[in-house]
Amino acid sequence: MSSADLRYPRETLWADYLRAAAGVVLCGAPLLLLEVNPWLAAILAAGFVLFTLFLARTALRHRTRYVLGPDTLCADGPAGTLVEWGRLDRLKLSYFSTKRDRSDGWMQLSVGSTGGRQVKVDSSLDGFHDIVERAARAAEAGGVGLSEATRANLRSMGISVAGQEELA
Amino acid sequence: MLKFIVRRVLLMIPTLFIISALVYFIIDLPPGDCVTSQVDELLARGDADALQRADELRQLYGLNEPLWQRYFEWVGGIFRWDFGLSCQDTVPVADLIGERMALTLIMESTTIAFIWIASFIIGVYAATHQYRMGDYVASFIGFVGLSVPNFLLALVLLYVGKVYFGLSIGGLMDPEYIDKPFSWGKFVSVAEHLIIPVIVIGMSGTAGMIRRLRANLLDELQKQYVVTGRAKGLPPLRLLIKYPLRHAINPFVADIGGLLPDVISGSVIVSVVLSLPTTGPMLLGALKTQDVNLAATFLLFVAVLTVIGMLISDLALAALDPRIRFGATSEK
Repeated sequence: MSSADLRYPRETLWADYLRAAAGVVLCGAPLLLLEVNPWLAAILAAGFVLFTLFLARTALRHRTRYVLGPDTLCADGPAGTLVEWGRLDRLKLSYFSTKRDRSDGWMQLSVGSTGGRQVKVDSSLDGFHDIVERAARAAEAGGVGLSEATRANLRSMGISVAGQEELA
Repeated sequence: MLKFIVRRVLLMIPTLFIISALVYFIIDLPPGDCVTSQVDELLARGDADALQRADELRQLYGLNEPLWQRYFEWVGGIFRWDFGLSCQDTVPVADLIGERMALTLIMESTTIAFIWIASFIIGVYAATHQYRMGDYVASFIGFVGLSVPNFLLALVLLYVGKVYFGLSIGGLMDPEYIDKPFSWGKFVSVAEHLIIPVIVIGMSGTAGMIRRLRANLLDELQKQYVVTGRAKGLPPLRLLIKYPLRHAINPFVADIGGLLPDVISGSVIVSVVLSLPTTGPMLLGALKTQDVNLAATFLLFVAVLTVIGMLISDLALAALDPRIRFGATSEK
C-alpha cells in the first residue's frame, strides 16, 4: 500500500473560517464598541475566546496535510504528530449533528498510539473513509476495545470490526 | 466537539435576535398601548388633563417613536443591563425585575433539580421493581402528576394546608422579610416556603420523566445483552449501571432542554395562585397592560434559558451518545 496525501477541502475550511469570523465579530464588536455590563461582558468574552480558538484550529487544519501510510498516519503541519497503526491503543468514531433529527451531520475520528500521540480528523477530510477503514483494521489486529457508539458508527460506514466491546 | 459547540453557539445568536424581535413586535400588535389603560383610569376619575397627561407619558416612554426604533433602543440597552422604562410606576425594568428574577431563578433551578433527582430515583426503582408495590405507587404518582393541572394542585394544597394544618402556604418568604436585605433568616424562610411550590410546579415534569425513564429502562432490561450479562454472572447493580441505564438515559437527557421552558411557563399560573413574588405574575400583568419593555425582557430571559437548556441537553447527548441514527447521513 502506498502513502496517500490528504487535506481538508478548501470549501470546508472557508466555511469554518466564516463561522469563526462571524463569531469573533458578533462577540467582539459589542465589547469594543458598546458600554457593556460586566456580567454580559464575561459571557461575550467567553464566546470571543471560543471562536478565536476555533479560528486558530481552522488555520492549523489549513496548514496541515495528513499522510496515510501502511504503518502510520502522520499529521504534517505546525502541530504535527504521528500515530503508528501497530501501536494503536485507542480509536473513537463520533457523530455530531446540529439538527434535532441528527440528519446532515459529520463524523470525527480520534486515534491514538502508545506514548500519548493523537490525531483527530473530521469526515470532511478527503479520504476520511480510507483512514477509518485502516484504523478499524489496526484496532481489530491490536485488540483495541471499541465503544458501542464507535461500532455503530463504523457499521453505518460499512465497516464491521470483530472483538470485545470497550470495558470502561 | 469544538466545531459542534461553535456551530451551536453561532446558531444561538440569530435565534435569540429573531425571538426578541418577534416578542417585541407581537406584544405591541394589539390596538392601544400601555398608556391607554392609565388614561382610561384618569378619565374615569374625571381628570380634565388626562389627554395632556397621556401625551406626556407617551413622550416619556418613547411611544411616539416608530416601533423599530424603540426595539433597537431596547436591544442596545440590553448590553448595559438597561431594559428601558416600565409603564408600571415609571420605574426602570432592571430595578423592577431584580429580586424577582433572583427568586425566580432560585425557584426554577430548585424545581429542575427536584424533577431530575426524584424522577431518576423513582424511574429506575419502578423499572427494576416492575409490578411490585413501589412500581404501582410510582405509576400512580405519574398518572396524578400528568392528569392534575398544577394550579389545581396548588389550590388543593392551599386549602389542605390552611384548613387541616393551619399553615399559610402562599408567598415565598415570611412577611417580615419582604423588601428586607438578604440575610440568613431570609434564606431559611425562602427555603421553607420553596417546598410546596417546587413540588407543585415539578409534579407534571417529574411524572412525565418517571414514565419515560421507566419505559426506556424496561425496554433495555428485556434485551438479550442484559440476559447474557446476568448469565455471565455480572453483579445486578454493575450490569444495570454499565449497560441498560446508559442507553435508557438518552431520552432523559434529551428532555432536559424542553424542561426549562415547561417549568417556567407552568410556574406563571402557579405563582399567581400561590402569590409567589416571582416573575410570573409580573409578566402576566405586563402582558395585560401592554408594558412592552417589561414583558419583552421577561420573555427574552425565558428564551435565553430555553436556548441554553437546549444547548446543555444537546452537548450532554453528544458526549453521552455520539452515534449516527438510521436514516441520518454524514458528510463524506
